[in-house]
Amino acid sequence: MSRIFREVWLFFWRDLLIARTYRTVFVLDAVESLFGAAMFFYVAKFVDSPQLEHTLPQAGGYFAFSLVGFVFLDYLNVSLDTFDRSLEEARDSGTLEHLLVTQTSLSVLVAGSAIYPFLATTVRIAVYIAWAVLLFHFPLSAANWLGVFAVLLATLLAFSGLGILSASYLLLFKRGNPAKWFVLGISSVAGGMLFPVSILPNWLQLLARLNPVTYALDGMRIALLGNANFSALLYPLGVLLLFSVILLPLSVLTFSWALRRTKMNGTLTHS
Amino acid sequence: MPPAAISVEHLEKFFPPTRSGWRTFLQPFERPTSVALAGITLKVREGESVALLGANGAGKSTLLKILATLLLPTQGRAFVAGHDTALDSRAVRRQLGYHAGTDHGFYPRLTGRQNLLFFGRLNQLSTSATMKRIALLSQQFHLDEALDRQVRTLSTGTVQRLSLARALVHQPRVLLLDEPTRSLDAIAAAEFRRFLKAQILQSGNTSLLFASHTLPEVEFLADRVAVIDRGRLLGFNTPELLKAQTQSATLEDTFLRLTSSTLPLPNDPIIPGEGASS
Repeated sequence: MSRIFREVWLFFWRDLLIARTYRTVFVLDAVESLFGAAMFFYVAKFVDSPQLEHTLPQAGGYFAFSLVGFVFLDYLNVSLDTFDRSLEEARDSGTLEHLLVTQTSLSVLVAGSAIYPFLATTVRIAVYIAWAVLLFHFPLSAANWLGVFAVLLATLLAFSGLGILSASYLLLFKRGNPAKWFVLGISSVAGGMLFPVSILPNWLQLLARLNPVTYALDGMRIALLGNANFSALLYPLGVLLLFSVILLPLSVLTFSWALRRTKMNGTLTHS
Repeated sequence: MPPAAISVEHLEKFFPPTRSGWRTFLQPFERPTSVALAGITLKVREGESVALLGANGAGKSTLLKILATLLLPTQGRAFVAGHDTALDSRAVRRQLGYHAGTDHGFYPRLTGRQNLLFFGRLNQLSTSATMKRIALLSQQFHLDEALDRQVRTLSTGTVQRLSLARALVHQPRVLLLDEPTRSLDAIAAAEFRRFLKAQILQSGNTSLLFASHTLPEVEFLADRVAVIDRGRLLGFNTPELLKAQTQSATLEDTFLRLTSSTLPLPNDPIIPGEGASS
C-alpha cells in the first residue's frame, strides 16, 4: 500500500513542478474567481424575490444556490476531463510509452495523474468560496464540513468512473470525450446547476433523477447550506456511492480492454 | 540452464489497415492484415549483445515494442528473462530498460534531473539511489549542464542522451535500444558506444538488443547480428560468420546479399534454426 501512495505522490510531485512553471495562472485563477463570485452576487441581487427564495431548497437565496451549483460543476468537469487530458498529453508528448514500460501499474498511472487536478480544483473552489464569504456574505455558518468532505469524495469516485470510461474512448478512437459531452450537456438542463430540478417538467425531472450530477449538487448544497446533520445526506451519498460501485470497476475493466486493443492494433501512440 | 535473456518463438505481428472518417470507429475492430513480423524465432543469451539490422519498415521497432510490452503479438510468443511479454508484462517491465529512438518522451517544463528522478522512482529506485545513478550517468553522457535546465531548452542530441540515461538509470538486466545513436553527433555516438561496451556489457549482467542502421556500430557492439527484412529473419549469427556464410568482405555486403535480389547469395539463404539461435 505504501508503494502505491509513494507512486501516486510522484505523479502529484510531477504535476506540481510543472504547474509551478506557470505561476501566473494561479494569480489569474484567483482574479477570475473574484469576478465569478461577483457576477453571481449581482445576478442574484437582480433576480432574488420572496417567491424565488420559497422555491429554493436551502437558505442563502439564489446567490448561494447558483454559486454552489456553478463551482461544484467544476469538480465534475475535472473528474470527467482529467483522465482524458492526461492520457492525451502523455500520448502527444511521447511520455505514454515510457510510462507504460516502467514498473508502475496501469491503475496507479491513471489514478496518479488525477491527483493534482483534483487538489488544484479544490483550492480553486476554496478561493471562489472565500471571495464569496469575504466580500458578498456567502452563508457558511450552516455548513457541515464532514458532510462536505463525504459528498466531495463520493462525487469524485462516481465521476472518475465516467472519466476513465471517457479515457478508454480516447484510447480507441483518438479524439472526443463523450462522457463529458453527455453528462455536462444533460446537466446544464437537468442537473440542478442554476435552477432547482423541481421546476422542470416531469419527464425532465425523471432524467435528472438518473443523472449523478443532481445528487452531487443536492448533497453539496445540503452539506454547505442546509444546516443538516449527517442523516440528511444519506440519500444523495448512497446514490453517488451506488454510481461509484457500478462505474469504477466497469471503467477500469473497459480501460484495460481498450489498452489491450490498442496494443494489438499498434495505435497506442497514434493521435 | 538459466532462461535466455530474450526469447522469441515464431513471432508474428499483423496490423489492421488505417481508417479515416466515420470508419475510424471500426478501426479497433478491424482484422489485422498488414505484415510486420512473419514468424521470427531468436534468442539473446544472458550478457549478450544482439543487433537488429534491417531496412526501414523491416520490423525491428515492432519486435522491440513487443518485447517492451507496448505491442501484443498476433501469433507466437516473446519472453524476457523467462517472463511472457503478453501474459506477465509487469514482471517483464521489472527487467527492462527501453529507449524508443526519438527525442520525445520527456516533460518539457521539467529539468533533465527532475525527469530522470521521476522515471527512476517509477522504476522503484529510492530517491538517493536514483540521484547517485543520475550523477554517474550524467558524467558518462556529459549531461551535467543539461540536468538543471528544462528539457524544452535542450538540443535534440542532448535529449537523446537524456533518453539513454533514462533507459539505464535503474540498471536493467535487459536493454532494448531502438537506434540509440540516431540524433547524436559523431563524438557523442562514439562515447556512448564505448560506455555501453565498457560499463554495461563488459560486466556480463546486462543483455542488449538494439536496432541500428550504423554498420560500424553494429560491428563494434554486437556479439551477433539478426538481419531482418519484411518481417522475416534472414540471418542470425556473429558478424564474422555471417560474412563468411555470405562470402562477403563487409557487413554491408552481407546485408545487401541477404536482403537484395540484385546480389544473389552464393549458397542457400541462412535461415536460422535452433542451432543459430541457441
